[in-house]
Amino acid sequence: MNHIDASEHYDESAFTGQTPSLLTIIIDTNPRAWAALNDTLPISKAIANILVFVNAHLAFGNDNQVAVLAAHTNRAVWLYPKSPNPDSVAGPDSQDVEMTGVDGRPSHPELGTSANKYPQFAQIETSILTSLRSLIDNTTTFDLKPTTLISGALTIALSYIHKTSLAFEPSKTSKDPANPTTAPSATLAAPTLHARILVLSVSDSEPAQYIPTMNAVFAASHARIHLDTISLHGMPTFLQQAAFITGGTFLSAASNPRGLLSFLMFGFLADAEARRSLITPTQDSVDFRAACFCHRNVVDTGFVCSICLSIFCEVPENAECLTCGTKLALGSYGAKPAVIPRKKKKKKRINGINGREETGSATGTPVPA
Amino acid sequence: MSANASSLFQYLEQLKGTTFGRLYQQPSTTFAIFRRMLPHLAKTIVMAILYMPTPFLLSDLDIWIKPTAKRDKDQAISILRSLHIVLRDASPTISLNTNFKNSLRLALEGGGDHNSFGVPSTQPPPDDIDLGFLDRYARKKWDDILHFVVNSVGFSTSEKGSSGPKQSVKDLLIGGRLVERSGVTHRITQAGFTFLLQEANAQVWTLLLLWLEAADVASSSGRGLLGGLESVDMLSFFFLLASLEHGRAYETSALTEARKNMLPTLVDFGLVYIPPANPQQFFPTRLATTLTSSDTALRSVSAGFLASGEGGGGGLGDSAGDKSSIILETNFRMYAYVQSPLQIAVLALFSELKFRFRGLVSGHLTRASIRQAVDMGITSDQIISYLASHAHKQMHRVAASTRKPLLPPVVVDQIRLWQLDTERMLATPGFLFKEFDDYKEYVAICNFAEDIGVVVWRNDKKCMFFANKVEQIKGFMKDRKKSNESK
Repeated sequence: MNHIDASEHYDESAFTGQTPSLLTIIIDTNPRAWAALNDTLPISKAIANILVFVNAHLAFGNDNQVAVLAAHTNRAVWLYPKSPNPDSVAGPDSQDVEMTGVDGRPSHPELGTSANKYPQFAQIETSILTSLRSLIDNTTTFDLKPTTLISGALTIALSYIHKTSLAFEPSKTSKDPANPTTAPSATLAAPTLHARILVLSVSDSEPAQYIPTMNAVFAASHARIHLDTISLHGMPTFLQQAAFITGGTFLSAASNPRGLLSFLMFGFLADAEARRSLITPTQDSVDFRAACFCHRNVVDTGFVCSICLSIFCEVPENAECLTCGTKLALGSYGAKPAVIPRKKKKKKRINGINGREETGSATGTPVPA
Repeated sequence: MSANASSLFQYLEQLKGTTFGRLYQQPSTTFAIFRRMLPHLAKTIVMAILYMPTPFLLSDLDIWIKPTAKRDKDQAISILRSLHIVLRDASPTISLNTNFKNSLRLALEGGGDHNSFGVPSTQPPPDDIDLGFLDRYARKKWDDILHFVVNSVGFSTSEKGSSGPKQSVKDLLIGGRLVERSGVTHRITQAGFTFLLQEANAQVWTLLLLWLEAADVASSSGRGLLGGLESVDMLSFFFLLASLEHGRAYETSALTEARKNMLPTLVDFGLVYIPPANPQQFFPTRLATTLTSSDTALRSVSAGFLASGEGGGGGLGDSAGDKSSIILETNFRMYAYVQSPLQIAVLALFSELKFRFRGLVSGHLTRASIRQAVDMGITSDQIISYLASHAHKQMHRVAASTRKPLLPPVVVDQIRLWQLDTERMLATPGFLFKEFDDYKEYVAICNFAEDIGVVVWRNDKKCMFFANKVEQIKGFMKDRKKSNESK
């Protein structure tokens, strides 16, 4: 039927305009890591670069939106827009009170009075800087952990994106009762909002957060949200996997953190619409190692429950899966394999180029023909 | 790029390179042109090379962009060149116009002392001026202008008490041939219909461009009609207005003398409001601040009109209904949530209205009604684009979720067919290319023209093609000739 009405020749691109895009930036604010980076790229400079990047994103169209989160060592904090429920964790929220202007009129005499700045940009800058300052002021030496709560920030970002995209979706209330197929499920519909998440990472991935992080990543992948990561310091293994899974971009700027702005502008500014016509940087190797469910260790080889696919670094107690409780049969694990001595064949090996590493198994992995 | 940016684009395209150099000195202008005039891919390219320390090779660009998107790329580069954003030399690198680069950087970073985003007034604004007031004021002024145009059709509208636009605005409309003077009364022209059926944003631009052209003519003929205004300065002032914040007071004294002289006319258009008590301040209205918005944003602006209009009286209700109000069904029935006599008069131009309720009119699109419209000089494309740009939110949502065209294809086709009943020709000004040396040359040039989207018609057998723009092709042919000679 769809072919009969020949609707392809209706060029209505002039009426549809460009799809708005929402960029959520998660800034890793781990104090230790930034201290280590201080010689090459102080956080103030990094924030300035990010602000330019945010402005560039907003410059694409005035329905583009931006949200900025800080992933701290022990919590995730909204930098822009302001948290809807100003929690008491962040201490006295004096700046929240002064930001809500007078009777809704956008006249903040204390901000954006400069005639040299686009008003919206000035507003975002002020919001991010005040929130960040209060975050830094509220950080005690007790909080100085080497890793960052990235999964919490990812979760908040995802829920925010979901909330925002609801506003753009066709309303489901006034569905045509005679023709229920007019509103198909969201997976079929064209996206009305391009959303993506950019993580500015400076620390290693915390194995203890493997499960929540991966849950967030799969949720993002399901919602077709790209998860981009730029890593300035450390090795965020899980975020690397996240970029691979969600079709995002992972770049490591650890060799040259000063070039942050160039990395951002070239590698990360293109939204989903532009990426359709661009070749995005790809990763040559992805560290796919997972963390085990029992001790949160990153493992190369481990045990996998045959029922629920939980990963363990050692045989769990009583050989019962910790997640689903299935009694697992270990087969002849630990027994010495009966080795049939083979005739030693002299095989010429061109060093290394032969490809396959010494895996200890005589036959290779079966490959489908 | 949207449909209503095209008239502005045409105006900009015919400007000289030096003019662009001066336009790009202002960060707000640069920012507005970047935001408004460029296609998505072009924006991405500009942003990527904006902070690049070394020149960017065109061959690298080819690597970066997927081969399937070559057409988009060529179009993007072509637009960037014609707006003088990237330099037009034949070097293998692509680099930004220096003024453009510096200004866009300033716009993104803030800083500098160009004051191009408006100097906010330090004095407290009068209490009675809020968003609702400004919206009502702008709507009133603009409706007056539209009424003047519509009334010349002969439909009498019931709204009385509006004095109509100022004589200078009337002269502008007549000078722009939107209406013609025939004896005592005025008669609308085809351009006038085009104007009426546009979105408010496009209408504002049409009028502003008319004003610009009038100023150009005045300055070239040596008459100081508009106080010696210069079109470049006027244009950058428009873009400055677009970057201001709605509902905020700005300092009049910070403007140059020429710009101060522009304010009265802008007041007549309803783009700015100057409180009579305090002429030191001016308020940009929504008409001004949305000058460089994209279409989707305008839809949300109309939502803003609606929100601020609640309790604001009927005057605002119809300004909300002005956008996104028409539901068109496959059975040619049309339901429009409009209140103002003006909107109803516009609808009556091409449809047969059957019922009128409070806040809703319904009618049919019939062969007779479309014929009548076509006889008056309205084209089917104008009707379709009016229906599309005023389509109800729900139509947009359903279209987006089902990946179907916004308007029912059957109706769109039928409107076109009804028009074809009456006229069978479409005139496109342009250039015919023929008598190529060989087929190969023809194919190369024609394909290039096709890629930048200027080919209207081609005939491979006769080795002829017709293009509506020629500058890019000229450059291409020259380059080709040069490279052939060097071989």
